[in-house]
Amino acid sequence: MSEFDPTRVGLPSHQDLINLRIWDLHFHGFDVMEAVLPYIRRMGIERLFCLDIGGWGDDPETRRQETLQRKKLERWRDLVFGIIRIDPTRPKASLEKMERWIADGPAVGIKYQGGYREDISCAHPNNDPIIERANELNAVIYIHTWLKVGGDPRHVGGGNNRGESTPMDVAKLAERFPDTPLICGHAGGDWELGVRAVRPRTNVFLEFAGSDPFSGSVDFAVKELGAERVVWGGHIESRSYSNELSKVFDADLMFKQRKQILGGNLRAIAHPILKTKGYRIEL
Amino acid sequence: MNRREFLKGTLATTAGVACFAHAASTEGSASRDGSGSGWIIDTNVELFGWPHRELKYGATQALVEKLQTHSVRQAWAGSYEALFHKNIDGVNRRLAEECQRNGRGMLAPLGTVNPVWPDWEEDLRRCDEDYGMHGIKLYPSYQNYTLDHPNFEKLLRQATDRGMLVQVAVAMEDERVHHPRTVLSAVDTQPLRDTLNRVPDARVMLVNPFRHVRGNELRALVRETNVLFEISNLDGTGGLERILSGSHWYLPVTMPLERLVFGSHAPLFPLENALFKFMESELSKVQCEAIWKENAGRFLATASMKSDNRRQNRSQP
Repeated sequence: MSEFDPTRVGLPSHQDLINLRIWDLHFHGFDVMEAVLPYIRRMGIERLFCLDIGGWGDDPETRRQETLQRKKLERWRDLVFGIIRIDPTRPKASLEKMERWIADGPAVGIKYQGGYREDISCAHPNNDPIIERANELNAVIYIHTWLKVGGDPRHVGGGNNRGESTPMDVAKLAERFPDTPLICGHAGGDWELGVRAVRPRTNVFLEFAGSDPFSGSVDFAVKELGAERVVWGGHIESRSYSNELSKVFDADLMFKQRKQILGGNLRAIAHPILKTKGYRIEL
Repeated sequence: MNRREFLKGTLATTAGVACFAHAASTEGSASRDGSGSGWIIDTNVELFGWPHRELKYGATQALVEKLQTHSVRQAWAGSYEALFHKNIDGVNRRLAEECQRNGRGMLAPLGTVNPVWPDWEEDLRRCDEDYGMHGIKLYPSYQNYTLDHPNFEKLLRQATDRGMLVQVAVAMEDERVHHPRTVLSAVDTQPLRDTLNRVPDARVMLVNPFRHVRGNELRALVRETNVLFEISNLDGTGGLERILSGSHWYLPVTMPLERLVFGSHAPLFPLENALFKFMESELSKVQCEAIWKENAGRFLATASMKSDNRRQNRSQP
């Protein structure tokens, strides 16, 4: 442990972070687990959700990777939960994957990534059977979203990748499934617009992770959505806990609200499926 | 704050710091309520209004209070007005006045100069002689020129002759979330290396560099120049310790310790972002102090010393 005392520069102590019971929804460091572990420990992170589980395809290498990932999830069972990627351009294959990995396997949720073969976002009707099955399984539903400026004429969202959802797409999906918790990733990419896009859909949670830290962003989300609709991720290893925690510690929050955002809300979302899978989680 | 006072304040930060477990209790310290004296030099803050949003710590007094709460002793302040205003001298004058009026003695103004607009040399002279600024902060992508423009080299020479440091803002905001009517590219730093070969005494610091200055360009800047790199957008898990040890995830360089300086990019970014990096990385006291204050202090002192020598030489018969 470093000799550096963070409280002397107005930061929380290591113990303060542990007391917040931080659950990181956005973990990409499973392939370099040993390398990132010191940072996870140093920053007091209690649990991680890895969003890179499952792969695609039936070639032997992919199958071999899947086997390794299952073993790895078992090894890190006390620290890492697995979330698989689904593909709305292949709803049947996605459903089969959900059976293999969630119903009959160790994974606890699904992720929409974008960048698919066709321009099909999470708002497309292809998603209905996927969401229905996820609902039955109580799976965590994470949707990567962005609003990249671009296109011709240039507009917000015009620079998105093929099939990359926007927060407006999430709002459309949420309208069809008003009782299903949906997590809108990256705060919509452009948080000022993302917050407003999902605001009317109370079953949508907004995730702060994987974008630059802007002062006031979490204050704004809490004002519009309430702390009970904000969740958090570290986006390790391309981003940092510094980047991501700063968004939450910049905000004027009570301890209870910070705890909700940094893990409490996610625990509530994931609790049903974790219970099914035999985890004993204190909310 | 004039240049002499400013340099004195910078050097004062070389006193011991109190955020290490073994630091003596008599050393300077800051507290959560903002009282006491800090030790960090924040080389990257701005004053006035960000063009696209009202900022939480956008008012100077609120920003100063926030900086003091987090142990910042001195902050080098540019102006958001520099991004789009055409009356550059008005920008610089207001900045100097605001630092004087509401800076509580801790804000050092860095005026700006647009070397492709008329009478820019007079703007530089006023920054130096009228406003007593110790350096300038350039925003080439907003001010619409590239670093291979011949006037950029002229500006660098003249600033160096005056003993002024030069900051270059590589970017201000993730280009993916720009307003659709704002079409801006990050600064291409490639021409800077040749220019610095021709102006080797120039003291240049890149602010907000790490989103765009990567790969071979980063390696070349480290190897071929003496520019400093400000850390506010040095991301990647454990970014500080990993770039220092040459094991950063995507920045393929072993960064010498003396080339990194503390900066927050406040009030656009949370100050906590830069500070948490020192918790996330396992750093020695020597490494922390170098980045917090000593590198910036040395950078400034070198520029000022050269300026004093030149002035002395000029005054000799």
